[in-house]
Amino acid sequence: MPSTPTDRPRPLSPNIQIYRPQLTSVLSIANRMTGVALAAYAVALVAWLVSAAAGPAAYTTVQSLIGSWLGRLLLLGCTFCFFLHLCGGIRHLAWDAGYGFSLRAIYASGWTAVAMSMTLTALTWVVGIVLAGHGQ
Amino acid sequence: MIIQRSDEVPDITLLKRFPVPRNFGVSAGSRIGKGRTWPAPGGAARIRRFDVYRYDPDSDGNPRIDTFHVDLDDCGPMVLDALIWIKNRIDPSLTFRRSCREGVCGSCAMNIDGTNWLACTRFISDLATPATIYPLANMSIIKDLVADLTHLFAQHRLVEPWLRSRTSAPERERLQSPDERHRLDGLYECIMCFCCTSGCPSHWWNGDRFLGPAVLLQANRWLTDSRDEATGERLDDLEDPFRLYRCHTILNCTRTCPKGLNPGKAIADIKKMLIERRG
Amino acid sequence: MTRTQMRSALGKAVGLGSARDGVENWLLERVSAVALIPLTLWFTVSTVMHAGDDYATVMAWLRRPVTTTLMALLLMALFHHTALGLQVIIEDYVHSRMKVLLLVGMRLGCLAMAVTGLVATLKIAFGA
Repeated sequence: MPSTPTDRPRPLSPNIQIYRPQLTSVLSIANRMTGVALAAYAVALVAWLVSAAAGPAAYTTVQSLIGSWLGRLLLLGCTFCFFLHLCGGIRHLAWDAGYGFSLRAIYASGWTAVAMSMTLTALTWVVGIVLAGHGQ
Repeated sequence: MIIQRSDEVPDITLLKRFPVPRNFGVSAGSRIGKGRTWPAPGGAARIRRFDVYRYDPDSDGNPRIDTFHVDLDDCGPMVLDALIWIKNRIDPSLTFRRSCREGVCGSCAMNIDGTNWLACTRFISDLATPATIYPLANMSIIKDLVADLTHLFAQHRLVEPWLRSRTSAPERERLQSPDERHRLDGLYECIMCFCCTSGCPSHWWNGDRFLGPAVLLQANRWLTDSRDEATGERLDDLEDPFRLYRCHTILNCTRTCPKGLNPGKAIADIKKMLIERRG
Repeated sequence: MTRTQMRSALGKAVGLGSARDGVENWLLERVSAVALIPLTLWFTVSTVMHAGDDYATVMAWLRRPVTTTLMALLLMALFHHTALGLQVIIEDYVHSRMKVLLLVGMRLGCLAMAVTGLVATLKIAFGA
């Protein structure tokens, strides 16, 4: 029996499947995803502290994990996540204080946050690699 | 002034759509099938393809995408003109709301090329090829491009969008200084087209409880009105993890408002009021 | 089922009413964010300065009272901010009964992590 209009639930029009990604929504979801990633890195920070407290053997094991290729890649990811979340967070704090709400300001601050987080990540790693080279 | 689009800032399209599966979280009845391709009109020199969302409640079919070819030399410049042209010349069953055709009634709000806008103030020449026309995002669909706005208007009713006063009615009108009146600028112009609310991801996931940008902008309009005496009660009713604080300042609302208003700022101002009254 | 369907649109929109709460969490998320700006920058700069250093050098840095104090503050602000942020995310996306379980589990997890980190920091500072 064909269903009548009254007993058939209305369809929901598509949302995320069709809505165009814009800098506003892309940076918002990026801030959220980097936040979740940083939560995992925060657990890693605790593990690192525990290993340092446990003694040289445990510490050396953890350091060698960080020193591996995968470890370094994850650390690079951590640096970028941190700076993007930091820049995004400062943007949010400005909005919460009532500043930077014109479309032009939203876009300018958005692209600045992207550029700054990349620059700061690169800078951090260049300095880190140079200092590590001198130490050895 | 007709605001043609909110792209007063250059937008680099990073992606045409978010990398999620087409049927991501979509119920069986909402899945979009392949529709019909209507033949192009004969003898037309300038033709534009429109892919339009269709849903017929009187059939058993799912929503579908129909393809139309519009003769631009026989049609006005706006997207609404194209829809009217299709309805007149090709398929009279195509259903959409429209009234003023000049951006003041808010009836023809729909999703055009991936963002919400009024069909009557968007130029066909600004569209991608093919142009894609969907109803407002994340709405219960009555037919074709007509969305059921019942819940959104109930949310509007919830914030009591009228003057609440305990002072007995004066002999003449309730007075307001020019400064107090100016504070309503940017709030009273809202035409309740719900482009912003329908473009807000937070309202997509929690629209049953989150009031959404359009209604919160209206709430702020009454919080800001110098003649209103229920500011405290209004703030009490808004202070809720879902009603107000589901706003995560994504700002798709400000990005998409076809009247150039700033719902994101209006909501931030409410949050500031809630902080201010604490200490 | 029938009752839900026949409830008025306004009734549905009102739901269980306003919780008259939410400013506190919102504010604390911002306050912890502000605290985290200097603390995380201090930590990042410090770890970069110690890149390639051996155990003894790193421990000497960790044992300094300033480091202990800042590390303790960092851990508290970090996990407070993490808990508030994850709470919002869970509330956004989880609409089943799992929500309460996830929220409680997440809270306890953040607390456990903060305490573990603090104990490790104090052990480094005052341990043998």
